[in-house]
Amino acid sequence: MAGGIDRRLVYNVDWVLLGATLALTLVGVAMIYSATHTGRSPDLYLKQLALVGVGTVGLAVAASLDYRRLADRAMLLYGLSVAALVYVLRFGPVIAGTRRWILIGGFQLQPSELVKLAAAVFAAKVFSEYRQETLGLWDVALPGGAVGLLAVLIARQPDLGTAACLVPLFLAVAFLAGLRMRAVFGLATVMILLAALTWPLLKDYQKTRIYTFLDPSLDPRGAGYQKIQSQIAVGSGGLTGRGFLEGSQAQLGYLPARHTDFVFSVLAEEAGFVGVVVALALYLLVLWRMLETARLARDRLGAFLVAGITGSFAFQVVYNVAMVAGLVPVKGLPLPLMSYGGSSVLSSLMGIGLVLSVRMRRFAN
Amino acid sequence: MRIYEDLRVVQARLAVLQALAVVLVTALVIQFWNLQVVRARHFRDLAENNRSRLVTLAAPRGALLDREGHVLVGNRPSFSVVLNPEHADDLDRVVARLATTLGVGEATIRERLARRQPYRPVVVKTDASLAEVSALEVRRKELPEVSVVVVPLRSYPLASAAAHALGRVGEITERQLQLPEFQGLAPGSLVGQAGIESRYNHELMGRDGFRRVIVNSHGVEVTEAERQSPDDGPSLTLGIDASLQAVMEKAFEGRAGSAVALDPRTGEILAMTSTPAYDPNEFTTGIDASLWASLATDPRTPLMNRVIQGAYSPGSTFKIIAATAALEEGLITPATTFYCPGYLNVYNTTFHCTHSHGVMDLRRAIANSCNVYFYQVGIRLEISRLAKWAKLMGLGAPTGVDLPHEGTGLMPSPEWKMRLFKTPWYAGETVSVAIGQGQVSATPLQMARVAAVIANGGFLVHPHLVKATAARPFAAEAPVSLGIRPETIAAVKEGMRAVVAEGTGWRARLQAVEVCGKTGSAQVVAKSRLEKSPNDFEMLPHGWFLAFAPADDPKIVLAVLVEHGRSGGESAAPVARQILAHFFGLDRTPGPAGDGPADTEAED
Repeated sequence: MAGGIDRRLVYNVDWVLLGATLALTLVGVAMIYSATHTGRSPDLYLKQLALVGVGTVGLAVAASLDYRRLADRAMLLYGLSVAALVYVLRFGPVIAGTRRWILIGGFQLQPSELVKLAAAVFAAKVFSEYRQETLGLWDVALPGGAVGLLAVLIARQPDLGTAACLVPLFLAVAFLAGLRMRAVFGLATVMILLAALTWPLLKDYQKTRIYTFLDPSLDPRGAGYQKIQSQIAVGSGGLTGRGFLEGSQAQLGYLPARHTDFVFSVLAEEAGFVGVVVALALYLLVLWRMLETARLARDRLGAFLVAGITGSFAFQVVYNVAMVAGLVPVKGLPLPLMSYGGSSVLSSLMGIGLVLSVRMRRFAN
Repeated sequence: MRIYEDLRVVQARLAVLQALAVVLVTALVIQFWNLQVVRARHFRDLAENNRSRLVTLAAPRGALLDREGHVLVGNRPSFSVVLNPEHADDLDRVVARLATTLGVGEATIRERLARRQPYRPVVVKTDASLAEVSALEVRRKELPEVSVVVVPLRSYPLASAAAHALGRVGEITERQLQLPEFQGLAPGSLVGQAGIESRYNHELMGRDGFRRVIVNSHGVEVTEAERQSPDDGPSLTLGIDASLQAVMEKAFEGRAGSAVALDPRTGEILAMTSTPAYDPNEFTTGIDASLWASLATDPRTPLMNRVIQGAYSPGSTFKIIAATAALEEGLITPATTFYCPGYLNVYNTTFHCTHSHGVMDLRRAIANSCNVYFYQVGIRLEISRLAKWAKLMGLGAPTGVDLPHEGTGLMPSPEWKMRLFKTPWYAGETVSVAIGQGQVSATPLQMARVAAVIANGGFLVHPHLVKATAARPFAAEAPVSLGIRPETIAAVKEGMRAVVAEGTGWRARLQAVEVCGKTGSAQVVAKSRLEKSPNDFEMLPHGWFLAFAPADDPKIVLAVLVEHGRSGGESAAPVARQILAHFFGLDRTPGPAGDGPADTEAED
């Protein structure tokens, strides 16, 4: 596994991806400071900074791993994932009505975040074993079922947002692996039809019940309140923003979950449209470089691994930012790299570490 | 050896994913452009509404002071419980908790919430008790949306005394909100709804201030962004003399009626009462529907200000006008005599007098209130000249007193009758009008003004309550000379002096001060009906007494009307005496012994 001495490895580090990633984490730290400096825990930004440090170490470790060696242990990782998720469901402490965490030495670890990486390794390994050019629905059924099991276990915590991340993760890998376009559209059509047909049949209180069942962490004032307050924050930011630490929505507490899921609202309010464009440009740069890495990967395994990680990462970014802008329903889903939260930061950075690992080894044997 | 896999499909599909990433991020940028640039102003306003809250600083209404500076109407601090519903976590819970803590119905609170203006706090309870306020303080943490503000509330230390003159305040009505004079006032504002409070509402209100405060998401004030202090309403000084008012009220205890005292030289109102009355303190926090209904439908009309709204037959007090008119028109002299056999047959009708007075000159006719004498005067004056003089002396038109909704009374004339009834005037009607019966009616204030004309030597005064603001005196309209000859004034005054000295008004006599007066009784029903049921209180005539004193240099004019007092000499003159005695500092002197002329027969 030790390949750090190989000059070609260092030469092929994607410094642009790394730079953009770390820039986003620092923007996140600044926004967390803005969101919490007057509150009950004014030093959360320092904790986040420390977590970014730990995450960067994780990133380095992941980058130094040879992803092929890792993929050899895909079944073991999958088994460990299932075990960890079952353990959490059975023995995890109940925090805010959910069982998501394992307590290790005073730290809360959210296994589902790391399971995403394991799922990407697992899916990449399974699909890279296929030798045919195109895949039908039946070819994806088995790995789909395996990843689906992970999603169900996570959804039971309940943590629908993280569970949902596994869908684009899996689809991205399957798509690259040659899933027939017909099958892609077929899957998409079936899912959309199913949702569209059942949703109107539900009564409002049933919808509310489903929401609250799936995500009890919803603010008691109702999801509508969060959406409105976030839109007000974003809109009132205007072109150039109200200034760092000057956003009334963030500073007076109108924004809910402003250092976690709605951290982007703080950015939008205080840095305005200009800041939003810069941040989104950085995220697009990250996504673009990740997909470039997939394109440059020396083998299908590497390309699929990167695609899986990218799929989940992209989904989280797009959904979270769309939620902040009031385009999609409010779900508990952190913004990768910026939201406060150890497991999310660690998982995101380690994922990027794996992407770096693929690129570093594009010429390696 | 390196084995390169075939990655063409992978690479083609990666291009699709890259394009998808660009499309999605672009879509997000467009949405942010829409929110942050296109609709930025809208959201900036919403953010501003979120965080800033306007708190009204109510300006205390100006106090009403009596002529000595005693407070007639003031303000007291009160607690109002207000609710800021914008950021209530759970409004239902807050409403339920408030309802139990304050003892206010949930429905009432909800109704107030429904009527509120956006981002304005809702007053849930006015004039909350200390116990209620402390109960709320205990729950401060649970109910951050609820706050208690100190609001000046109107207080009427005199309670029901002079209630009709001073008036009352009440919540602004829907109709008033549309009027230009109430522009800029919010629903729920307290404005004057009667009396001086209403007439001088604009002057008394001052200007409310406000605080614009920044609140956090729990509705807790973080800082104050802006403050404009309220401008207190200026106080008004009235001509009312609180102690005279108190004596007047006391004199009316247990009776219905009204009285007004004027300074005959200026028209300043020194005291006025109308009973039954109400306590304006009960209205200060807004109208209680059941209380209002009971006052408004009470057959004794406690809301009516009888001094300016009661239209009564002036009865024999009208003889002052008839005498003045006849003297001025040169139809009689003070020495002119008529013989009174106790009746007069004229125009095929018999007009009665109380009894046979014998030969009467003007002085004795006024003193004894001889009807026959004034029948003769009326016949000679005819209705046109009688009406002219009555109108000159203020009948049939509002006096212009500074109170709202003043009545006019009525001075009939042939034109009036033709217009209203399409029938010609009969000469016989003039005979009735000459002694103040028939269609003629007047308010007590109008009759006080008539007495003032004799008292001040021929000037029609403009009665008014307000004397001065805090800063400067009010310029009251000067009394208008009616051009009456001094001889006329002297002759009528002489008659009025005799009324008290030896006539029907003897009960108003004071030992040290010479009082002039005129009694009267206003028939409520036709005489024949009264004779049928002489003990039915509702059918008894009202008793009038007009007075001024001292005779040589009058400083006070009085009109007293006691409803169903039978005769003025019997019922109204003693009331007038009490008031006059106090005015001249003679409270402790005993009243005249019961040795005057007989009552009911002696007057009409």
